[in-house]
Amino acid sequence: MMSIKEADLMKDPACSTGLSNYLLKDHPDESKWADCVHCGMCLESCPTYEITGMEQHSPRGRVHLIKSVAEGKLTVNEQFMDPVFACLDCRACTTACPADVEVGGLIEEARGQIRQAMPLTGLKGAVSKVFLQGLFPHQNRLNGLGSLLKFYQKSGMQKVVRKTKLINIMPQHLVDMEAIMPEVKEPVRKKYKDVNVIKAKGESKREVSFLTGCVMDVMFSDINEATINVLTRNGNDVTIPKNQTCCGALHVHAGDRETGRKLAKQNIEAFMDSDKIIVNAAGCGCALKEYPELFREDPEWHEKAEEFAAKIEDISKHLYDTGYDIPKAELKTRITYHDACHLAHGQGIRQEPRDLLINIPGVEMVQMPNSDRCCGSAGIYNITNPEMASAVLDNKMQNVPEDVEMISMGNPGCMLQMAMGVQKNGRNQKIVHTVQLLDWAYQKEDGKGER
Amino acid sequence: MAVKGIKSNDRHILNLANIVGDARSIIYHKEDLIAYDCDGFTLHKHLPKAVVFPKNTEEVAALVKYCAEHQLPFLARGAGTGLSGGAIPLNGEVIISLMRMKKLLSVDFENRRAVVQPGFVNLKLTNSISDKGYYYAPDPSSQYCCTIGGNVAENAGGAHCLKYGVTTNHILGLEVVLPNGDIVEIGANGIPDEPGYDLLGLLTGSEGTLGIVTKITVRILKNPEAKKTVLAYFDNVEDGSQAVSDIISAGIVPAALEMMDKTAIEGVEAAAFPVGHPKDIEAVLLIEVDGIADGLDEQINQILGVCRKRNVREVRAAKDEAERGRWWANRKTGFGAMGAISPDYLVQDGVIPRSRLPEVLSRINKISEESGLRIANIFHAGDGNLHPLVLFDARIPGQSEKALEAGSACLQVCADVGGTITGEHGVGIEKREEMRFVFTDEEIIAQTDIRSVFNPDNLLNAGKLFPMPGRCVEIKKEIKERSS
Amino acid sequence: MITAELFAELNSILPSERIIEEKNNHPLGNSGLVKVIPKTEEEIAAILQFANEHGKKVFVEGSGTKRGFGGLIESADILLSLSNYTGIVEHVVGDMTLTVKAGTKFKELQEYLAQYNQKISLDPFCPTSATMGGIVASNDSGPKRLGYGSSRDVVIGLRIVYPDGKVIRSGGRVVKNVAGYDMNKLFIGSMGTLGVISEVTVKLRPLPKYESLILLSFPEGQMDEIRRFATKLLDSTMEPVTLELLSPTLSEKLMGRNCNTVAIGLEDVETSVRYQEKFIQSIQPDHTELKILAGQDAQAFWNQFYSLTPISPTDSSTSTQTSLKIGVINMDVTTVIKESHLLSDTHNLKVEAHGGLGHGLCQINLKGAKEDIVSAIQQIRESVTKLGGYTVVKHLPFALRQEIDTWGQKPTHFFLLDGIKSKVDPKRVLNPKRFVGGI
Repeated sequence: MMSIKEADLMKDPACSTGLSNYLLKDHPDESKWADCVHCGMCLESCPTYEITGMEQHSPRGRVHLIKSVAEGKLTVNEQFMDPVFACLDCRACTTACPADVEVGGLIEEARGQIRQAMPLTGLKGAVSKVFLQGLFPHQNRLNGLGSLLKFYQKSGMQKVVRKTKLINIMPQHLVDMEAIMPEVKEPVRKKYKDVNVIKAKGESKREVSFLTGCVMDVMFSDINEATINVLTRNGNDVTIPKNQTCCGALHVHAGDRETGRKLAKQNIEAFMDSDKIIVNAAGCGCALKEYPELFREDPEWHEKAEEFAAKIEDISKHLYDTGYDIPKAELKTRITYHDACHLAHGQGIRQEPRDLLINIPGVEMVQMPNSDRCCGSAGIYNITNPEMASAVLDNKMQNVPEDVEMISMGNPGCMLQMAMGVQKNGRNQKIVHTVQLLDWAYQKEDGKGER
Repeated sequence: MAVKGIKSNDRHILNLANIVGDARSIIYHKEDLIAYDCDGFTLHKHLPKAVVFPKNTEEVAALVKYCAEHQLPFLARGAGTGLSGGAIPLNGEVIISLMRMKKLLSVDFENRRAVVQPGFVNLKLTNSISDKGYYYAPDPSSQYCCTIGGNVAENAGGAHCLKYGVTTNHILGLEVVLPNGDIVEIGANGIPDEPGYDLLGLLTGSEGTLGIVTKITVRILKNPEAKKTVLAYFDNVEDGSQAVSDIISAGIVPAALEMMDKTAIEGVEAAAFPVGHPKDIEAVLLIEVDGIADGLDEQINQILGVCRKRNVREVRAAKDEAERGRWWANRKTGFGAMGAISPDYLVQDGVIPRSRLPEVLSRINKISEESGLRIANIFHAGDGNLHPLVLFDARIPGQSEKALEAGSACLQVCADVGGTITGEHGVGIEKREEMRFVFTDEEIIAQTDIRSVFNPDNLLNAGKLFPMPGRCVEIKKEIKERSS
Repeated sequence: MITAELFAELNSILPSERIIEEKNNHPLGNSGLVKVIPKTEEEIAAILQFANEHGKKVFVEGSGTKRGFGGLIESADILLSLSNYTGIVEHVVGDMTLTVKAGTKFKELQEYLAQYNQKISLDPFCPTSATMGGIVASNDSGPKRLGYGSSRDVVIGLRIVYPDGKVIRSGGRVVKNVAGYDMNKLFIGSMGTLGVISEVTVKLRPLPKYESLILLSFPEGQMDEIRRFATKLLDSTMEPVTLELLSPTLSEKLMGRNCNTVAIGLEDVETSVRYQEKFIQSIQPDHTELKILAGQDAQAFWNQFYSLTPISPTDSSTSTQTSLKIGVINMDVTTVIKESHLLSDTHNLKVEAHGGLGHGLCQINLKGAKEDIVSAIQQIRESVTKLGGYTVVKHLPFALRQEIDTWGQKPTHFFLLDGIKSKVDPKRVLNPKRFVGGI
């Protein structure tokens, strides 16, 4: 079997020898597939395999295709692109794999290859471009749009969005949130623009930095506000470094590793002085932890990225590990919990958020079968691959217990998608972020935020 | 009428697409087909002509009929987790994938049976009936993803077949599409002993060479009242294997009696589901008894007594279901876990009379020394079903060939002591030649004669199960060329 | 004249004292002009080879307990008896496997194995006379099938002499084996139509450390209550090895109580059996009577039970016996037992019936006038067919087998069965017309 030698990876792409049909730099990493023994244990974990029943849409199949390009049996072309881009990047296969094969990393690297070899065209290309290059990296543009509705109209994506019924979801979603939470009028980055440190209420125990996220801060500023409340309530001084930017997860998922690296560098520098970086979006947290992957061929930045990655912590794990006040107010609600892929599979965080939730007095947790199954959101997957995303969502919704009031989770992308699922299926659950519930309980304890 | 979205000039592709009705139920581009060039056995690969995804029995029958009429070789495939290459399209077959026929059709608790489609995943059956306290007994290690259709083809076993039997002991009825496209029902209504030759028994384990199963009636069992699971650690393999023999001889029928040796322990502990086995231990036994709770202590005590007599270092009992689950996950992902300590492995599947265990293990050890390849042993010790895992690196010239030789030598040892070459993985491509270790030419012809009754043109899954003069040498040569 | 020639030719294979001329036709049919009694596998092979080459037909028997089971030819050329081909070939105590020659009697084997606290986990009828080969060839099983399975679950290897004299091994001596087709299955229950089974290898089980039998008798007309009880017991975690429903007449004969009785066998360590007894007592339905037989009493009950089947040709002009094997979906056994019981009035027959509520197999023994027997079989078969089941006539005098098809209707996949027969025995030497569809 043909192999790629380490040395080949370092060479100028034009000089690449051997059978490999990966001609450009930033190769898929051979060591990632070498562990795959084709056992198939990943198959049932994969949402796209569940729907299609097709091997090329399974983790094992995708790894096999990626390997086949390296072995010179396939070339990077349209047909190869389809299975590689149909992956939700949910990482469920990483959990299932007995040999710890990093399928997610391989997929991202392969997408990088495809992006370099074949620029995107058509609708998918347009969507990608608007979202990834025109918008997410530019906080001011996001802020400037004021509301998503406007943004959709301006970006010319209204039609796509209408088709996916997202337009109906958004206002409803915000209404729901407003019903539970104090009103939030502006993104936290704007709100705390002139505040260096948001001081803990009561005794300061430590200082943490907060990554606000790009979309998160505009669409879900309420969640960011809740996160700050919960942090300061529990002895954390919070800083919001000014130069931070989008984490780049969506760019890397889409194969735009160059932009990914640019954003990574900016964040690494922005948080240089932080000891701990709190993230409340699972997708961002996972991407930040994986920055070193982007710099495999750049030792200097690789080291910086390693240091940076070690500082990243999900809000639920941070609270769980450092301790937090168990709220005294009773919420009296039945909820269920959805494991965001990038929290459960990506970061191995499953029990911590559940603990936060069940410790709130009056919260009754109903177990959701297959709770760590992807909901189909997967970044902008629900917009680029609406059909598959919708099928994945349908499967997900079948597992949501009927008799709960709320579905809690730790990722904004999932929240949008699940809200869509609730509406599509005529259900009536409210979608909440884990910290929102906790914050709500604190508010109630303090005599505010009665429902 | 042509199906929309098919970009091919091949009339067979167009016609097959017509049968399954839409462009999403057939694949024919090389980039997609390559995902089907092998199954869980990766040492031989070949591209299929196409892969089709029928939705029901009638479509399967129509596809088969088309292939038969046009003399196109074809085969059926489930999840493709087979370890002997039974689903590899050696002859550029049309693959009939049964992954869109994956429903649980009915469950009849009163009469203890369930009807499933072939693409239904093994473990899902147990998961679907466990709330009522029932389960499906055959539990191959791949049960998280392998299909019951594939289990029927391979007559799959598993850790718990020591007490509960293998797939064939749990199949009550089959709907089968014969290689000429006829649909027949065998074991009507799932009633045992249907008059006539036992075709149910013959089809189960026929490795997809006699027909394509499209509906399966299986027996379901009530969960045992209680289970007790212990780990027993031994400082030498000899003691461990003697303990296995002693437990069986003492008249105990454990639900499972599994063993792993030092190399295997290294693998599972380095992989995704470690449980903290001591690193310096030579063998671990995973022993499970089940049944009426009141009777289990007596059995466990007897087992512990046997282990002590054989110098066990330490015994641990699972404290709860979660711990028991972790132990089993550690054991059941054992093959895949080898990826963590070796780039490639070849798993063998010999069976020996239990009493010959110590002798056979030492001979396998010798094969390992002679070949210079590490061999890990994970096995169903209670059945005498060994899984020597030959660890190798296909990138090193000559190692693939050496691994095959070592694997074959292990099987020769099994045959020599009165055993057989495969206990649950099937012959497939992998062990065709080794069939000669256990059967005479006449006995092999007796079997191919039966095949010719069902599959006269040998269009269905040809080249599997039986030795073909000269073929094995070719495969070995090919591997040698590829690895150099 | 023909016989003399045959005799002479066979004499080149066997000494004359083991070639016996059969003068009278047997009322159960399945006779031979000459009976040969081989002592070695080579002799069996030579006899078959001779028959195959000379167009002779061969019937095969062990000790003749299934002589009334199928067969439309009164006499073949040769009756091959395995009654002298007996003995244990290998018993590996530690491996719990046993290989025996086909003519060995079942009871003798069990007695031998008991010394080692082992047993063959089959419970065929007529165990004192029935041979291992015959049990396997006819796939006979009893109530304990619920707990231990049947021949297809127990047999791990066979040696078969093919019609042309070749010796073919199937399976092996290990308990798990998927090398090649599972050819064992082909010969189990094939009624000797494909080959002569010369050796059988079985996996053994330990003798239970303790056993008991609960006999639970229900008042008349409570079939629904029986069904409810059985469902409840099967849905519990108890592990009965039998759950056999006995008809009132059979119950009277075995335990002196004329009502439907469920025989629940328990075999395990004593604590477990006691616990299960208590559980069953706790769910005992109202108005039922419960009796527990322990240890040897339970064994004695079963010994009597297994000897009940009609094996001797006691046919007289006034009384004919038959035995039916009926397969239905488990709980439909209640319907079969109920309907069979009615036959005693409607057809003036003596009826003894029982069926396993956990596996769906019933046996009905009938005794009475010929015409009534014939009509009763037809009636039962019709109603069983409606239930989706089958009726096989395990025992019937030769003359009546011409009127009543032993096997019932051919299955739709008969061409496969016929194809297998044609491939293995193209000259139709072995047990012609003994099996389904005249195979």
